[in-house]
Formats: sequence, structure tokens, C-alpha cells
Amino acid sequence: MNENEIQLKVQALVDGELTGQEAKEWRSRLETDARLKELHAWLTGVRGLMTGAELPRTLPESGDFHWSQISEAIRHEERETKRLARPASGANRLLRWVVPLAGVACLVLLLTLQQTTKPDLGISLGSDHELELSIDDLDVMTFNTGDDTMSVVWLDYSLDLQQDEIDLWLD
Amino acid sequence: MPEEPAYSSAEEPQLVEWAKAGDMQAFEELVSRHRDRAYVRAYSIMRNESLAVDLSQNAWVKAWQRLEQFHGEASFPTWLSRIVTNLCLDELRRQKRARTDSIEAMEESTGPVENRMEMETLDPIEGLGREELRERIDAALAKLSDKHRTVIVLYEFEQLEYREIAEKMGTSIGTVMSRLFYARKRLASLLKETLKRDGLIE
Repeated sequence: MNENEIQLKVQALVDGELTGQEAKEWRSRLETDARLKELHAWLTGVRGLMTGAELPRTLPESGDFHWSQISEAIRHEERETKRLARPASGANRLLRWVVPLAGVACLVLLLTLQQTTKPDLGISLGSDHELELSIDDLDVMTFNTGDDTMSVVWLDYSLDLQQDEIDLWLD
Repeated sequence: MPEEPAYSSAEEPQLVEWAKAGDMQAFEELVSRHRDRAYVRAYSIMRNESLAVDLSQNAWVKAWQRLEQFHGEASFPTWLSRIVTNLCLDELRRQKRARTDSIEAMEESTGPVENRMEMETLDPIEGLGREELRERIDAALAKLSDKHRTVIVLYEFEQLEYREIAEKMGTSIGTVMSRLFYARKRLASLLKETLKRDGLIE
């Protein structure tokens, strides 16, 4: 046991932290070791000095003000606790379901529209002729008159078609 | 109309029971009786007036919220004091003020500093009044590092055991013992300096 450990053991004895056999052993060591006895006396003296040594102080604000701060903080905490514990209102509960459902519905609608708006570019040229056009090169413009009595659909396709095919198509 | 309880003359356990039942006036009376004590304990640890006010105030709010947990094993002021102490320790941790200071750095390089410090004897102070001595001890405590002061406050004033201090400070019992020993030596040394300076001892 080194010097430091011995000091801490004597301190523990003074502080009443050693019990039973260990306390007994250290007490008997004190009887025979003047240096340990001196240390014990010094620690006991310091402990004595500290007894009741906490300086009394007065709160540096008025009692009423102090209480008003405390009561306000208590009320604030209680309001917060109630707010967090409160079950969601009917509208909030509905929104919890409606928002994700609406999202899914929008997605489905979008996908459906994408499917249905793909133009069918199979142009029938009679029983023997059929011209396949690719969507990539197709431009479509639609014009409606103000009173909706007439609609013009403008197709612009830049594919080089054989003149005989166009003739067939126009026939 | 039911008569209002006589709060100012009520016994403490009665006030606690009323407060537990939600009676804010009973709690106000408890605050009025023990507010200085809560403040003193916070000040002893923090050594900062406004922080001590804030922390003692917070301790009262926590005490109100946890009144159901108070079963009278200790007295109400002791229970409250534990709450104050815990909040102070949390604050010290938050501030990370328990920094490595020069003494610890020295300790790491050359072994425990306790061995190199003289144990200052303070025998001839009988002539000094208790109040004067307390003021000088208080001034010496203010000069200790946060962790050394805290361990002294928890042991000497809060009257906790080594094990309890170790738990609260998140350290080992050995460290608590070592810090306490060093804090006592340093305190005695500072006190001797002050008393010498004031011509109270040779």
C-alpha cells in the first residue's frame, strides 16, 4: 500500500466509511503509528472546521417575485404536458388518413393518365396498308375556337415517307 | 363556504400532503420556508448568483412535478436539496466546466499532488468568531475548482456517502476519496493563507 492509499484509508476511517474488521484494523494501526495518528488528528480537525460552515445566504430577489416565477413556470409546464397528452382532434385524425390516401390517389391518377394519353399511331390505310409512326418524332397541337364549335388538331411528323405511301394514305 | 387552511401555521408534512393534492398555496408556503436553503445549496456549488437563483427556481418546479415521489423517508428540505444538487451537477456537466486544470495535468505527469502538499495545521484560531471563520471558509471554497468544491459540498454539507457522491458525479469511489482529500488539503492551505494575511495567526 503506497502513501496515498494509506492517507485515503485514514480519511475513510475519519469519515466513517470503514466498517467492521477493516475499521478495527486501522484503529489499532493508529495506536502504534504516530504519523498515522497525526494524519487522523489533522483530518478530524478539518472535518470539525467544516461542520456547519456553509454560509447562510438570502435569495437575492423578493419572495413574491421568486414565487411568481416558479408558479408561472409550473403553469407553463402543465400547459405543455396537457398539450402533448391531448388526443388529436377529429379533423386532425381525418387528415392523418386523408393526406396519404390523397397522395396515393394522385399517383394512381397520374400513372393512368400517362397510359391513356399515349397516342395510338397506327394509321389505317385500308385493308392492305398500314403505316406505323413512332411517337418520338410526332408533334401534336390542338386549337379550340372560343365557343368550342370547332377543334383543329395539327399533326407534325418529320419522317421521310415514300411518296407512294403518302399517296396511298391520302387516297 | 369551507374555511381556508392556515398555511403559515401548518406543519410541514401537512403542507406536503396539501401540495400533493394540488394545493398551490400550500406549495407556496413550502417555497417561502425553504427558498433560502435551496438557493444557498445551489450557490455553494455554482458560485454564481444568477445561476443559483435559476437553478433553485427550477428545483422548485421539479419538486412540484415530483411531489408524488416524496414519501417522507428524508425531510422535505433534504429531499429538495437533493433535487437542487442534481440540477447543479447537470449544469456543471452541461457547461463542461469540469475541465482538466493545471493541478490535474501536474498530477498526471508527476504523481498525486496530495503527496506534495503540506497538511496545514489550523490550531490557533480559537480567537476567531464562528461567523468570521465561516466567511473565510466560504472564500476558500470559492477558490477551489468546481469538482473539488462539489465533492466537499456533497460530503460536508449535503452529507452524502462516498458511494452516493460517486454515483452523482459519475465517477469511482476512489476518485471521490482522492478529490476529497486534495480538496481538504487545499482548503486548509487557503484558509491558513487568509488567516495569516489578516494577522489572525502567525
